[in-house]
Amino acid sequence: MPRRSDILQGTLALLVLKTLTAQGRMHGYAITAHIQTASRELLRVEEGSLYPALHRMEQDGWVRAEWGVTEKNREARFYTITAAGKRQLATELESWARLTEGVRHVVQFA
Amino acid sequence: MSFFRRLGNLFRDDALSAGAEREMSFHLDERVDDLMRAGMSRPDAEAEARRRFGNRTVMKEQTRDADLLGWLASVADDLRYALRGLRGNPGFAAIAILSLALGIGANAAIFTLVNAVMLRSLPVNDPASLIAVTDERPSQGPVSGSAVLTNPIWEAVRDRSSGVGSFFAYGDTRFDLSTGGVVRRIPAYWVSGGAFQVLGVGAAAGRLLTAGDDVRGCTPVAVLSSGFAQRQFGAAGAAVGASLPLDGHPVTIVGVTDPAFTGMEIGNAPAIYVPLCARPIISGDPQALDHRGNWFLRIMGRLPPGQSIEVTRSRLAAMAPSVYQATLPGNWGREYQHDYLKRTLWAEAGAGGTSDVRHQYSKALTVLLVVVGVVLLIACANVANLLLARATARQREMAVRLAMGAGRGRLVRQLLTESLLLAGLGASLGIVFARWASALLVRYLATRNGSVWLDLHPDLRVLGFAVAVAVATGVLFGLAPAWRATRVDPQAAMKAQSRGTTAARLPVARALVIGQIALSLVLVVAAGLLVGTFRRLTTMNPGFRREGVLVATVDFGNSGLDSARQRLMRDDLLEKLRALPGVRSAALSFTSPISGSGWNEQVIADGDSVVRDRKTSVDFNMVSPGWFQTLGTELRGGRDIAEGDRIGAPFVAVINEAMAHAYFPGGSPLGRSFRISGVDGKPGHPFQIVGVVENAKYGKLNEELQPIAYVPNSQTDWFGSEASYELRVAAGDPLALSAQVTAAALAENHAAQLDFVTLTRQVSESIRRPRLLATVSGFFGGLALLLAIIGLYGTMAYGVAQRRNEIGIRLALGAARSRVLKMVLGEAGTLIGLGAIFGLAGALAATKLVASFLYGVQRNDPLTLALSAVVLGLVALAAGAIPAWRAASLDPAETLRAD
Repeated sequence: MPRRSDILQGTLALLVLKTLTAQGRMHGYAITAHIQTASRELLRVEEGSLYPALHRMEQDGWVRAEWGVTEKNREARFYTITAAGKRQLATELESWARLTEGVRHVVQFA
Repeated sequence: MSFFRRLGNLFRDDALSAGAEREMSFHLDERVDDLMRAGMSRPDAEAEARRRFGNRTVMKEQTRDADLLGWLASVADDLRYALRGLRGNPGFAAIAILSLALGIGANAAIFTLVNAVMLRSLPVNDPASLIAVTDERPSQGPVSGSAVLTNPIWEAVRDRSSGVGSFFAYGDTRFDLSTGGVVRRIPAYWVSGGAFQVLGVGAAAGRLLTAGDDVRGCTPVAVLSSGFAQRQFGAAGAAVGASLPLDGHPVTIVGVTDPAFTGMEIGNAPAIYVPLCARPIISGDPQALDHRGNWFLRIMGRLPPGQSIEVTRSRLAAMAPSVYQATLPGNWGREYQHDYLKRTLWAEAGAGGTSDVRHQYSKALTVLLVVVGVVLLIACANVANLLLARATARQREMAVRLAMGAGRGRLVRQLLTESLLLAGLGASLGIVFARWASALLVRYLATRNGSVWLDLHPDLRVLGFAVAVAVATGVLFGLAPAWRATRVDPQAAMKAQSRGTTAARLPVARALVIGQIALSLVLVVAAGLLVGTFRRLTTMNPGFRREGVLVATVDFGNSGLDSARQRLMRDDLLEKLRALPGVRSAALSFTSPISGSGWNEQVIADGDSVVRDRKTSVDFNMVSPGWFQTLGTELRGGRDIAEGDRIGAPFVAVINEAMAHAYFPGGSPLGRSFRISGVDGKPGHPFQIVGVVENAKYGKLNEELQPIAYVPNSQTDWFGSEASYELRVAAGDPLALSAQVTAAALAENHAAQLDFVTLTRQVSESIRRPRLLATVSGFFGGLALLLAIIGLYGTMAYGVAQRRNEIGIRLALGAARSRVLKMVLGEAGTLIGLGAIFGLAGALAATKLVASFLYGVQRNDPLTLALSAVVLGLVALAAGAIPAWRAASLDPAETLRAD
């Protein structure tokens, strides 16, 4: 099975971490929905790939997960960002800035 | 996430999957809700939600693979897959697992013995700092039971030991616990007072011996082993304070040792420990501790903390001259004294204690370990061959999977998992087999007097060995087939029909078969030599007839009578035994053949004034009239010992042909004489030779022809208190006479002590080691042959199946069936021939290992080599004939239609 590209994964982590920083405790579906609305429907998370990503981030210690109940009384796994996650977000933001800056330069002047 | 949590995930893989599953279901439910709110119907919404989500199983797997060690979890999948594969092919699985179980089990069984005899440490505190003291620098090899010293030497070492280490002495013995009648001999130790403190052994009840218990003139006390106290008194506590008659002397029990402690010798678990100072009392000899020629003690010790064994060695060597000077036997001749003073003292690592069993069996066990190792190799080759054939059959499956994008490494891993599963199953079965087999093998070492006691509980070393062997075999027989199976070009394999590329010859398989045949021939040759040795030992003429003779050992030592009275009583008992119904003839002697006890002297032939060669000695026995006839030893000249050869009459002797030849070459020895050279170097009185008998074995069946002199039993009063009565019975089991003999002896004196054995048994116990080697090597030689034949048959049958088309076409084109038969048989013959050549070459080299165990046959005995090769060749050819015949009787039309 071919792996998803790293850029996409890196970006996904950035989006998830940013979302969790802004919104606090959320479950996976809400994260998908938030990324979609916040990006004004420009970005659509590939839904299936979110969970492996969340799981990996949990193992890396960036997010903490726990089971809880939604307003609709459904069981869901809620994610919160950790201190390590916040540090990671800073790194990811920085590299994202570098990347967009770089891409902008290439697009403008190359 | 910590490493441990990741590790933990491995073991809760199912829980993790269930969690991922639940989380994804939640996501889908939410999506369906949203889609329905937007106006979709439920079925459409559900379909759309699933479409958007993607492949759930893949997601789940990816979630799981996110574990650093997640790949290990997929091993479970591989295992399930492998199990399914084996279930789908039960015949293959059964053969593979069974041959591996036999191979691994045999290895584990022999290794269990090797571990118990050669590797285990004594069950005491810090065995690593124990040392065993010997009286010479060892040439090589482990500490044996050979360094036996005298009590004066022990006392001299003890008195000089400060700063060298703490030492203790012990000597094994047997005490008779009966009070007259049939003896009940229990293995025991004489120990110096500090033994238990130095070893660091604790008491299960009461107290153990201390230095205070071992002073000259002590009142004897005893300590029991835990097992013996249980058996004798029901509980350790009940033994303390009780009394036991040791050789007729009541001794108070002061304590019981810790159950974990089994003595200082591997293979010998004593029941009773008595301080050395009790020896004068129990043996009835007030000077028992002062004899400078009484060798019965071994010395062990413990290094002082931090001191290396080298330091102790140099200090022991430094004290040796003064020890030997102080204990020099004064009555020895000059040359003997000179040799005595040249001895030194030396320390060996003593963690494994001392052991006669180890000395006797180390090399034999090593040989057996090699034998079973080779059997395992042959079994591995078989399984590898089976897997190769299977791999070829699965080439299309592999091709399909490769084409679908499976990694080659992944496929190799899967196939290796299958091999390791086979090895694991084989090993589990093998360990069960091993426990049973090692217990059986120990019984081969046992004698009637004392079973060899070995700790056979599987410890970590045995388990580690079994696991290592299983993994090694799994990789060994699995790697090649796995590599081969995945080395396919998917396109070619899928295009081709089952013939085509897959029908290519299997050079690996052929090489494996040649190797198997060669290895099995080596084992068959070794087995042939060892079985031949054993057969020769059991069927040879030892110079006496072993069947139908009862050997009764009768001891009048507790009768309180002097030796002259004992002699009269002995002779009187012989008369009574001769009169017993069922006894054809009876005789008595100082020792019976192959009993393990003996008496030898250096002899000066008449005409000489000194011993010609100090390295040779003559075995002696004292026998009654009729002894040769009872034993079945032929008189070759002169006369038997007669009733008239009594005290006061001239000293006479009957000698055997070997002695006649060695000491009286050229001419008859009858009428000539010899004298015994005493330890003081002075010759004794002359014995006149009145008879010559055929050569007979004295101490061991496999000894060289040994000069023996037989002197009359009634011409001295120094016969000793113990006599062997030999009774040849008319028919039936000789042991049936035991009760009557006991009654007759007790009627003679109520304190008589008796012990019975048949001569057949006595002789067969002396060849335990040859029997063990012959049985085990014979069994495994046969098994190796069988495995190799199966391998050959399998490869040939497979080859024929692969070439059905070719053979069919040949037949259709008019080839004679005999030609086909010849072609296939020729191929088998090539494999067998090559295997036999390598095998014979290997056998010539490998039999070096067994050379020292052979008797009456050379290690490169041409007859054994030829016979082994012929037997192997014929059996192998017969196995090859079946597929050949099948090939020749193929119906060409049917074969061609099949494709």
